Amino acid sequence: MVRWGMVIDLKRCTGCHSCSVACKVEHHTPPGVFWAKVVRIESGKYPTVIRQAVPLLCMHCREPECEKVCPTGATKKQPDGRVTVDSDECVGCRYCAVACPYGARCFAPDWKDYFTGDKKPSSPYAEYSKKKWLEESDKGVVSKCDFCEERVEQGKQPACVNACPCEARTFGDLDDPESEVSQLIKKRRGMQLHPEYGTDASVYYLPAR
Amino acid sequence: MCYGTCTVNVRVEDGVVVGIEGVPDSPQGYGNICAKGLSSLMMLYDPSRLNYPLLRTNPEKGIGVDPGWKRISWNEAMDLLTSKLGECLKKDPRGLYTVGSPTFPAERAFNVLCFRKAFGTPNYYTGGGGLHCGNGAHMIGGIYHASWSVIPDFKYCNMAIYWGCSKGHGAGHAANVAAKQAADAKARGMRLIVFDPFLSTQASTAEEWVPIKAGTDAAAALAMANLLLSEYSAYDKEYIKWKTNGPYLVAPDGLYRRDKKSGVPLVWNIIDKKVEPFNSENVKDCALEGEFDVDGTKCTPSFQLLRNHLKKYTPEHASEICGVSASTLRRIAKDFGEEARIGSTISIDGKTLPYRPVASIYFRGSQGHYNQAWDCMSLVLLNHLVGSADVPGGALAFGPPVHLGYPGTGRLKYSVEPDKDGLLVAKNWPYAHLPYPPPEPKDPPERLDLQDMFYIPTYTTIMAWDNNEELWQKFKIPYRPDVMISFATNQIMSVGNPKTLMKNFLQKFGFIASFNIYSTEFEESAADLVLPDACYLERYSSATTFPTVGVSCHGTGLGEWIWAIRQPVIKPMYERRPMIDVILELSERLGLRDRYIEAAREWVNRAYGGDLDFKKVLDPKEKLNFERMLDIIMKDRFGPDKGLDYFKEHGYLKWDKRVEEVYWRAFNDVRVPVYLEWIIRAGRKSRAIAEKYGVPDLVDWSAHNALPEWRPCPTHTEKNPEYDLEAFYWRSALHTYSMTMQNPWLNEVSQNDPYTYTIQLNTETANRKGVKEGDLVWLENSKGSKAKGRVHITDGIRPDHVAIAANAGHWSKGMPIAKDKGVFFNELIEIDKEHTCPVSLGQDICVKVKLYKDGGDRSG
Repeated sequence: MVRWGMVIDLKRCTGCHSCSVACKVEHHTPPGVFWAKVVRIESGKYPTVIRQAVPLLCMHCREPECEKVCPTGATKKQPDGRVTVDSDECVGCRYCAVACPYGARCFAPDWKDYFTGDKKPSSPYAEYSKKKWLEESDKGVVSKCDFCEERVEQGKQPACVNACPCEARTFGDLDDPESEVSQLIKKRRGMQLHPEYGTDASVYYLPAR
Repeated sequence: MCYGTCTVNVRVEDGVVVGIEGVPDSPQGYGNICAKGLSSLMMLYDPSRLNYPLLRTNPEKGIGVDPGWKRISWNEAMDLLTSKLGECLKKDPRGLYTVGSPTFPAERAFNVLCFRKAFGTPNYYTGGGGLHCGNGAHMIGGIYHASWSVIPDFKYCNMAIYWGCSKGHGAGHAANVAAKQAADAKARGMRLIVFDPFLSTQASTAEEWVPIKAGTDAAAALAMANLLLSEYSAYDKEYIKWKTNGPYLVAPDGLYRRDKKSGVPLVWNIIDKKVEPFNSENVKDCALEGEFDVDGTKCTPSFQLLRNHLKKYTPEHASEICGVSASTLRRIAKDFGEEARIGSTISIDGKTLPYRPVASIYFRGSQGHYNQAWDCMSLVLLNHLVGSADVPGGALAFGPPVHLGYPGTGRLKYSVEPDKDGLLVAKNWPYAHLPYPPPEPKDPPERLDLQDMFYIPTYTTIMAWDNNEELWQKFKIPYRPDVMISFATNQIMSVGNPKTLMKNFLQKFGFIASFNIYSTEFEESAADLVLPDACYLERYSSATTFPTVGVSCHGTGLGEWIWAIRQPVIKPMYERRPMIDVILELSERLGLRDRYIEAAREWVNRAYGGDLDFKKVLDPKEKLNFERMLDIIMKDRFGPDKGLDYFKEHGYLKWDKRVEEVYWRAFNDVRVPVYLEWIIRAGRKSRAIAEKYGVPDLVDWSAHNALPEWRPCPTHTEKNPEYDLEAFYWRSALHTYSMTMQNPWLNEVSQNDPYTYTIQLNTETANRKGVKEGDLVWLENSKGSKAKGRVHITDGIRPDHVAIAANAGHWSKGMPIAKDKGVFFNELIEIDKEHTCPVSLGQDICVKVKLYKDGGDRSG
């Protein structure tokens, strides 16, 4: 059985936010909702200082904290390793958002137009985008990255992987030891974020240095 | 949107653009696409876009003045524009000023350059980054690499030094290709060392960040050059002998000693022990050092003069200037020299070439200073000492400037060539004014910015100096600013202090028309007529990748050439019109059709090579039409079956690059100057003109010399200790200048980013000044100009510097998303002689400031 995972090479990433925006194009997330984002971490004292861009998304954990706390069972672990939210079952209690150690979950407010802040779409694209978003999620529920389920089903790469100018992201099957992701993790000593939480994340980071 | 112009596929559903992706098969992006490119569909549907022609009803102009826009029809707009331009044409066509954005390089030629030529005005400058970049960086790139810029040969380079530049961070030239290539290089193990006062994107991913003081790169580089020559003996003698003017003999007057018969420079033939023309076949070896008697005059090879001259740039002396320790400069210079592997070769596609895997790379940062021409020369010189110019692993010309022809037709052919002194001449330069050889200065100058009496600048800011009227009178310029057409620029924000520009320059125009997609600060403050342009998704673009030198969208190294067009994915919405359509109609209306065609012929053949003559193809009665012109150009270059229809269907055409094109230096008998002898001659000519018209002190002529110097910016000599911080701006990869701040996706990402909209201040400095994270502060220069912003405290900046991302802080009503975001850095930039490079006439854009809290104690 496949277990989808992603490897992000911090040596290649420049923190350009292409992922953040590619996700918006693909999933039509409204203002304030980011399924993919980039944070910058700075450490050290001038002049010995390191600044690292770290792209974040749902880690699709094998032991997801969010699933454990979901009172309705809306958050599900899929057999292919993805962690999903069924918006029909979600009641918007946001326990999951609090439980997620990676801040990957977004509570969706009312849909708003990006330009006007109104509920009324300001352009034919905004209208299209609103429709798409409401098909995928709904107001008052929690949403997050789904590893681009639709694209992956069509044999494509997730939108963030596809767009990345630095080709810092690799998507594939963690259960296949020969897959590119497994090989990268092995050869480059891939790390999960906060392994101490025991979440066994499906997103791995390759060290920059 | 951006001069990266990466190839994209656009998804349209029921007439609505719903998605943008890269094209995996295109060498212009490899399918990758940055945040700006992805966001461009939001630009298409922005409700703040200009949709109709607008006329100013408030006769008053000025910053913050409400223009009182009134919607008019295109017929009315065209009648008005035709009448204003017609009057100008009758009175003196030179009264027309054209100003274009650099973000559409290939189209700009047809919109701006050809029209201005047809109209008969020499007056032009570039908005956007133009007056800031350009002069120093591009002209030095042109003189040494026949190219707009240089970039490491990412495939083979082992050690790259970046001087205040971020090539490969996902913006600018070849944005997405360079990002991938740079990431590949880093993964392969290329060592990157970044000299920058700020821990920039590339500095933060580099092996080493060297926090240098702004505007002092040349001091560091000249010390390194001195070390390579004097201490480490790490220079490529063969390269200097045969690929530079190093052996040319120079007389005590500083000029070449020339052969009496042929007039070419002489060298000392070591074998036959006599002077000979540099290009004599007898010369099998020549002297780089020593002193030689030429008809009783003691002459010295120019390399020897460089070597002697550099001796004063000891690392210890440089260290005092640039704030980098002498030991660091020594270590990096030594590594650079060793890693250059002088004498080694590599075989690529059966060709044996010099292998020099080091590159000294500069761009925006090192060029934004008073001494920019010599700053850039000093940085590029490192490559030419170790022979790492346009050879595998070295610093490669963007472009590159050699294309041996499209394989199917042999057309689209151009190459570099030597002038009679053997020096490199670029052949597909986007401007008629080549970087070398120097054009004859105009006496008296004709342009309002006096550019044409100089030899390096592409443009200057003299037209906006306080004493411009006095200068125009003295130089007997018989006309004054009359009509301006702006092509998608926002000069109010992009030139320098907006009040100065408005008062000294823009207020002098009788009529200003502006094509744009938003009503920016420029339209609101200065325009009489605003014309709604189509954005790149609604119009045709000629070529996004050629001319290779000016457009700079090909990745470096071997791979593929691509000729891509842009085509409208939907019809222009509302009453937006592509500006080229308007310009062609205007040319017809003004009776300039034939002159336009002639200007286009001249430009197309210079930029793309060949001898296309539109006149022979177009019916004399045929109305000018851009699609038709594109069809003609493409068929001429690619064959009768590869006209516009082919490109409409396929989007682009690609073919393999050849070793002789990419690594052209080894295949062309061209030299570059380690001693810029011709600057002495050209400078004297310009100076004579200035003296003749009673302006002997127009610029500091002592900088018009043959050898590189570091000279301080006004910030380095500021005496008042109150102004204790050096402020500069850097280009954010999230934005193209500041227009994209109106894009809500890019704006939101910027708001989430700690740097894009803030003032970056060192932790220790912030503590000393009692400033906390997020505090609202003012930056004020010694002339009282000031800019406001919120502080982000970081250890990634020198304690004596303060950095600002981009040039933000819009205030126009026409850009509500961008309004009040970030810091308007250019408010601090003075437009005057003191902040103008005396050689390139480019602008100095660093500034000493005091920093104080909003509402706080002004004593700082």
